[in-house]
Amino acid sequence: MITWLTATDHKKIGIMYIITTMVFFVIAGILALMIRAQLATPDNDLIPSHLYNQIFTLHGTAMIFFVIAPFGLGLANYLVPLQIGAPDMAFPRLNATSLWLFVIAGIITFLGLATYGGAAAYGWTNYAPLSEISEGTGVGADFWLIGILLASVSTILTAINITTTTFLLRAPGMTMWRVPIFVWEMIATAILILMAFPSLTAVTLMVLIDRHLGGHFFDPAFGGNPILYQHLFWFFGHPEVYVMVLPYFGIVTEVIATFARKPVFGYVGLVISAFAIAGLSIGVWAHHMFTTGAVSNPFFSAVSFLIAVPTGVKFVNWIGTMWKGSIELSTAMLFAVGFLFNFLLGGITGVMVASPPIDYQVHDSYFVVNHFHYTLGGGSMFAMFAALFFWFPKIFGVKLSERLGKWCFWFMFVGFNITFIPMAFMGLEGMARRVYTYPNVEHLALLNGIASFGGVILAIGVALFFVNILVSAFAHVPVPANPWGGYSLEWATSSPPPEFNFETMPPINSRRPLWDAPSTQGSGP
Amino acid sequence: MKTFVGLFLSSTAFGAVILVAYWFVAHEETTGSVLLAIMTAALAFAAVYAVIAERHAHIDGDGQDLTPEDVKGEDLGVYTTHSPYPILLALSCLFMLLGVLYSPILAFAAVVAVLLCLWRLGAESARV
Repeated sequence: MITWLTATDHKKIGIMYIITTMVFFVIAGILALMIRAQLATPDNDLIPSHLYNQIFTLHGTAMIFFVIAPFGLGLANYLVPLQIGAPDMAFPRLNATSLWLFVIAGIITFLGLATYGGAAAYGWTNYAPLSEISEGTGVGADFWLIGILLASVSTILTAINITTTTFLLRAPGMTMWRVPIFVWEMIATAILILMAFPSLTAVTLMVLIDRHLGGHFFDPAFGGNPILYQHLFWFFGHPEVYVMVLPYFGIVTEVIATFARKPVFGYVGLVISAFAIAGLSIGVWAHHMFTTGAVSNPFFSAVSFLIAVPTGVKFVNWIGTMWKGSIELSTAMLFAVGFLFNFLLGGITGVMVASPPIDYQVHDSYFVVNHFHYTLGGGSMFAMFAALFFWFPKIFGVKLSERLGKWCFWFMFVGFNITFIPMAFMGLEGMARRVYTYPNVEHLALLNGIASFGGVILAIGVALFFVNILVSAFAHVPVPANPWGGYSLEWATSSPPPEFNFETMPPINSRRPLWDAPSTQGSGP
Repeated sequence: MKTFVGLFLSSTAFGAVILVAYWFVAHEETTGSVLLAIMTAALAFAAVYAVIAERHAHIDGDGQDLTPEDVKGEDLGVYTTHSPYPILLALSCLFMLLGVLYSPILAFAAVVAVLLCLWRLGAESARV
């Protein structure tokens, strides 16, 4: 136990990151089921309204700050040094500090539930002055703010570490244009974090100053400006969406290339598009503020539309990689293909809401809930499971059951779409997001009933994943170093890797060092 | 290393273009312009640092034809595997924030703890 608490080895830190995100994923999933139970029927009062507000706030907070974004960072902690042939991260102690700040941030955020007055209840966006004056803004809200502040600092420290590691610690021959796409996506993510997260740190501090130290940054009664809050928050908030997506682009690229048994199609295009997405994402923050009337809608609309171009380039690359490949539909590959399908739907609705006339109609409605769940749930979450199935053998030395894995995928894929497709129609029928209940009008009862039913199917799929872990752990069939026939360096070392990662390093003469040397090609998918 | 220099220089140029475009298109909206200006300045700072560092850098990974055999025996430094101070530092940061909000004594004690942890981390780093 002590060895884990004091560990600075990147692999142990990566594992602790991943396990912590999985714990929060389960908590967030339970909260989501509670939301769906409350909304399953019209005029329902299953859950008290003040508790409902806390539930959706914590669900969003957990998924964004403690699951999707940190899972990518945790996986990067584990994989980046292995993929570039480094013995560890550049700053191991800083790495451990980031981890513990993150863990403590998550705990303090959820501890708000145990306080008098309950947890924060104003949504994950923490809009001021709502978060300064309304119900649900007691000690639990302070805990929430402290948690987000610590998580923000933790993320910035991790970004510094990832950038420095990839700059300085690449193995001989591992030039920048040979590193795996996952590493490139993490560099883009890290730079994006360094540009955007200080804004979150600042705005969270400002709310704390308003609440406790007599500040009036966002209080119009004293000359403050609530629009300032939205600017500062979304300057972080929209790049954060890409912090939650770019690592998963990298994951999907690695999985597809491995299981198509083909080199990545358009490597340079994938790299350039990652940075194009990162750069453009900095210039779109106020598309979340179209309806305030206080921002330049044409500018933000145009830049938002532009993001579809590099994203489309990536789709061409992924399809090009699969084209005429020898495709093996393993569980990881199924999740990667599921990602493509879901993320495409999320992208299409994203282009729709980038248009101010449409956004004015669907703003703050369930249409938007459909949109961001397709990008972050159907997109990133499916890629997260692709990563878990793909790298589980490397991390734990045990392969997950493929049979159970495929059941897991199909339950999740079908359940996810049954849950979230109806939400687009709910939004178009005028159902506002975050509402506690709704009247029995139009088709809302039917649509909500279907969505709640889908939520149960999705939950069964997720549960099957954890059953799979238990079954595989008991079976404990050891795996070779390269069970999938992968091409990048992490597959050159044992599963799990030894301390400092490599006993011997293969020569690196291309982007696929393991496919160059017949002795390290592995068993293949 | 050249790639990183190019990366930061092009990012700085991109930030500057976005800043100018935003300033004119958004009718001189101040908050967003200041945010973009700070971001561009940060990128420029990193770019300048990268340009200077590149002159003195010798990175094995940049050698296209280098093999692991070529650098055999090279001193890679010592990588620590354990330290108690990161978790203590993280806890101290939490108590420092709680102290600022609820208890000055707790805040003071936590600040002392943060400084001690930083000092010990520095000492550990210097030792290796």
